[in-house]
Amino acid sequence: MKQIILALAATLVTATAALAHSKAEDTTPAAGATVETVEVIELRFDDPMRVTAIALVGPDGELAITRETGLDPVTEFRAMPNENMPAGAYTVDWRGLSSDGHPMQGSFDFTVVD
Amino acid sequence: MDGLAPIDGWALLAIFAKAAGYAAALVAMGGPLFVATFRSAPGDVLRLARQLAVSAALLGLVVLALRFGIRSARISGMGLEGAVDPMMLGLVWDSPLGTAALWRGAGELLILAVLIEGTIGLAISLLGTLLVAVSYTLVGHSLGDPRWLLAALVGAHLLAGAFWVGALAPLHRAAGLHDGAALLHRFGIIASGTVAVLVLVGLTFAWLMIGSFGGLFGTAYGWTLIAKLVVITGLLGLAAKNKLRLVPSLTSNDSSAPDRLRRSIRMEIIAVALILLATATLTSITTPPVNL
Repeated sequence: MKQIILALAATLVTATAALAHSKAEDTTPAAGATVETVEVIELRFDDPMRVTAIALVGPDGELAITRETGLDPVTEFRAMPNENMPAGAYTVDWRGLSSDGHPMQGSFDFTVVD
Repeated sequence: MDGLAPIDGWALLAIFAKAAGYAAALVAMGGPLFVATFRSAPGDVLRLARQLAVSAALLGLVVLALRFGIRSARISGMGLEGAVDPMMLGLVWDSPLGTAALWRGAGELLILAVLIEGTIGLAISLLGTLLVAVSYTLVGHSLGDPRWLLAALVGAHLLAGAFWVGALAPLHRAAGLHDGAALLHRFGIIASGTVAVLVLVGLTFAWLMIGSFGGLFGTAYGWTLIAKLVVITGLLGLAAKNKLRLVPSLTSNDSSAPDRLRRSIRMEIIAVALILLATATLTSITTPPVNL
């Protein structure tokens, strides 16, 4: 019994829960950045994320984007805007399923200037 | 606040549905555990435990289906349309919730066998109870590291919780019967052991998710856990009062004891509902501090 308690205590002290959620570590363009052109929209996660929905909304409404990474769980999600993005404020909204099954969502803003 | 996901109507609906799923699972699991532990309880009390377990198991299946739709709506960002979208539902099915749903659904179906009187029906329903407990170890925060320790803690927490929650309504019935005191007394003795397990494994799991006292006070997960612990403390106070004061009064034929005990058990049920809501919040919209 004593050994079991000691082993349990050792596990507790050294344990670091690693999974539980994966979150967007950083993005391209970076959140809050001002850029001249946008060639790719990237979301980087610390654990694989299945991005189930993503929308790019600009000054003239929603813009079509093409996913490069599809619906598979990825740590680096990439999508390309289908057309030139006029100057203005943009928001990217995304939804996803993390590897532990949690529904996740996030958004970030950036600005395009001429 | 750190570690709090965006909250919209669908997230709130998800929390309520998850709490309802917890309640259904605990009452469904608790029925066979109650019948197995107190086989000599008054027939009326055993019948209620069986009926409640079956109703809860059926409700659990309905809630499980609803939760698929709610999750599908959340990950699609399309609202009601997303809730019935076959592709989104397929993605949810492929996620850990799909695996958990198979185990939980099978478990809740097996629990229906508690209606069959005798050892075989009881054994099948106890197997169902175990499957439902296992289903909760296959999804969410218990998938972190150390995997097997977290899974064992969640499984033990659920079984001990189900023994208590599933017994509340049958004990409420027993408190009004003239031969119910012996059952309540025996429950008090066994529960002092199972409640200790429930609290100990719960605190250990929470510590693994939080990792430091800073994580407890600076995050959404920490504050939700504190809210849960406050209600749990109240619930433990009620349970202690029942065991140490009201059940002895019932045994000594105090005429006001049945009503006071029944009122106290109803308050326990309300406290359990609040605890399940706090737990559903913890596991739905907050991130454990160790992952921040």
